[in-house]
Amino acid sequence: MGTSYSAVGWNRQKRIYDQVIAGCCVLYLVLFVLITVTVNPDCTFETVLLRSTSTLAVFILHVILSIGPLTRLNKKFLPLLYNRRHLGVTMFLLSAVHAVFGILQFHSLGNVNPLVSLFTSNTHYGSIADFPFQSLGFFAFVIFLLMAITSHDFWLHNLTPKTWKTLHMFVYLAYFLVVMHVMLGVIQYETNPVFVVIMISGAFILITLHLIAGMAEVKKDKKAYRPEEEGFVQVCDVRDVEESRAKIFCIAEERIAVYRHENKIYAIHNVCKHQGGPLGEGKILDGCITCPWHGYQYLPHNGQSPPPFTEKVSTYKVKITGNTIWLKPTPDTAGTTQQGAAVPAE
Amino acid sequence: MNNDEFYIGWMQQAPKGFAVWIKKYVFALLPITIALGVSVALAQKKFGSGNFEFGTLTTVTGVYSHSPVPNIKVFDGKDFWGNKNYITIPLIGFGKHGADGVIADLENETNIAFEGKELALKGTLLYNDGKLLMQIDANDKPLVMVNEPAGKVPETLQENIGIIDIKGEIVDPKCFFGVMKPGEGKPHKDCAIRCILGGIPPVLKVTNDEGIQHYYLMVGEHGEKMNDAVRDYVATPVTLHAKAVAYGDWIVLYVQPGGLQHYSYMREHYSNNIAMCGKRCVE
Ligand code: HEM
Ligand code: FES
Repeated sequence: MGTSYSAVGWNRQKRIYDQVIAGCCVLYLVLFVLITVTVNPDCTFETVLLRSTSTLAVFILHVILSIGPLTRLNKKFLPLLYNRRHLGVTMFLLSAVHAVFGILQFHSLGNVNPLVSLFTSNTHYGSIADFPFQSLGFFAFVIFLLMAITSHDFWLHNLTPKTWKTLHMFVYLAYFLVVMHVMLGVIQYETNPVFVVIMISGAFILITLHLIAGMAEVKKDKKAYRPEEEGFVQVCDVRDVEESRAKIFCIAEERIAVYRHENKIYAIHNVCKHQGGPLGEGKILDGCITCPWHGYQYLPHNGQSPPPFTEKVSTYKVKITGNTIWLKPTPDTAGTTQQGAAVPAE
Repeated sequence: MNNDEFYIGWMQQAPKGFAVWIKKYVFALLPITIALGVSVALAQKKFGSGNFEFGTLTTVTGVYSHSPVPNIKVFDGKDFWGNKNYITIPLIGFGKHGADGVIADLENETNIAFEGKELALKGTLLYNDGKLLMQIDANDKPLVMVNEPAGKVPETLQENIGIIDIKGEIVDPKCFFGVMKPGEGKPHKDCAIRCILGGIPPVLKVTNDEGIQHYYLMVGEHGEKMNDAVRDYVATPVTLHAKAVAYGDWIVLYVQPGGLQHYSYMREHYSNNIAMCGKRCVE
């Protein structure tokens, strides 16, 4: 963790990750090219390039979009989540070959500027069968481009996590644009149902995963807490929280992480100041709550990052009666020191 | 997984439980990657057999004519009855342009009107399905020679077929006959429009009931260019009401006013009934 952004070195994990991505890409591209050239010897180099890169990019896009919900369902996907931007940049580079080459091949050397041609050759914007599908690919590409160039932590800091996150949520729009690009484009030409089947199954898998993960989350969030005296609500039994770990409670649409540290219970806001990582899924390391996403740290009793760092999250009052933990869901100002509640000896 | 295992992104090595899990996931993705690559590659429609002799220049000698589209007629021996045979080679320009500009420039440079002259032109050939076209590019110095022709191309080559109704797809012949694959249909629509707007003559591709393809050059009622007029009809099924004239090995369609329409299944299959109903209703 650094005072400003700090570039994380290309460590062993990342190198393996990159090698696996590169290996799979090469495997796919080589297979695609060899099969096309063998089975379809009348093909042209341009078409093989356009098709091999675009179809691989779409496949990777599916993998990228599935990592989020998969990680919510199972923490073991975290290493994929953490390094997702490498997949994103790979996907972007592949789609860039397709997009740039597509513009060159289909729109350059004509009587107008290629970018003008892209939007004005075919003007059937009101038709489904005739829709100028390349314009959809173009907008998807612009989104991927923006995401790829802002993928570095430098931008995260300079754009603020909120703007950055909003920008990156546009990936869903881009995905939709790509699906429509393919559905209104080459699928109307190809006669083999494989293309439609693949696109529809891909969308089906993604939607299902998001729904399952979303429902699991909503169920947790919807749990009702009976308000009790002095604004405290009853959340769980002390024995439910392991030492150095937390449980997350969603009360009035705010997520709160209830941590156990050296036999005391503390509560802090669940959202990490870095990229909004779930602090309650972290762990206490060296006396600090450590965010599972990028390792930002906060002291359990006051929600402050240890000096010289200055990040602060809100803290909450807790108390224990018998073995029950009570939490006051109104946050104290970020960085407020709390007493914590001592866990009774068994 | 040991419940105490905790993953943080900057770790050199993911905890064992995590690493094992990710390995399994990647091994599951591997066959999917292969299956996808193989099935998508195999499922592609067959490409046309067109050929664009990119990088190879060929010199061709024949009689130039500006209509119905810029072309040269190359003498190709005599047939059984002693009639002269010609191969018509429509000319097109560089990139997405017609040949008119290059020809006009050459005419200006040499101060000779090319109509009816014998030209030797150097360019890049493209061909498919028995049709041959040639790209002439100013950078290739395409004009090798210009002469008075030895004899006239006989008028008998022209044969009036009469007014016909025909259904097909408008393609740009440059891409279709060799430069791109597929050079037709939806994926290629934008490009075809751009080529045709750039002056490459529109061609109607007609597939008959036996699946055999025929090609027709399209011009307006009086032989005028209709490149701009076809823009909204490119790469979709259309019907033409046109006067057909054979010029040797190419049939030219002189599209009648209002004779270019989007093909409608309803109109083809039910228009008689509608008309009949209309008649009956009137009666
Ligand atoms: C300026 C941007 C783009 C242009 C001009 C463009 C153009 C095209 C064209 C002309 C085709 C049909 C090619 C063919 O005959 O096979 C096509 C197909 C396709 N495009 Fe794009 N595209 C663009 C961006 C994208 C992006 C960003 C993606 C997603 C990563 C994408 C994914 C695909 C896919 C999967 C196909 C079908 C496979 C194929 O036939 O190539 N395209 N695109
Ligand atoms: S450290 Fe990045 S989100 Fe917490």
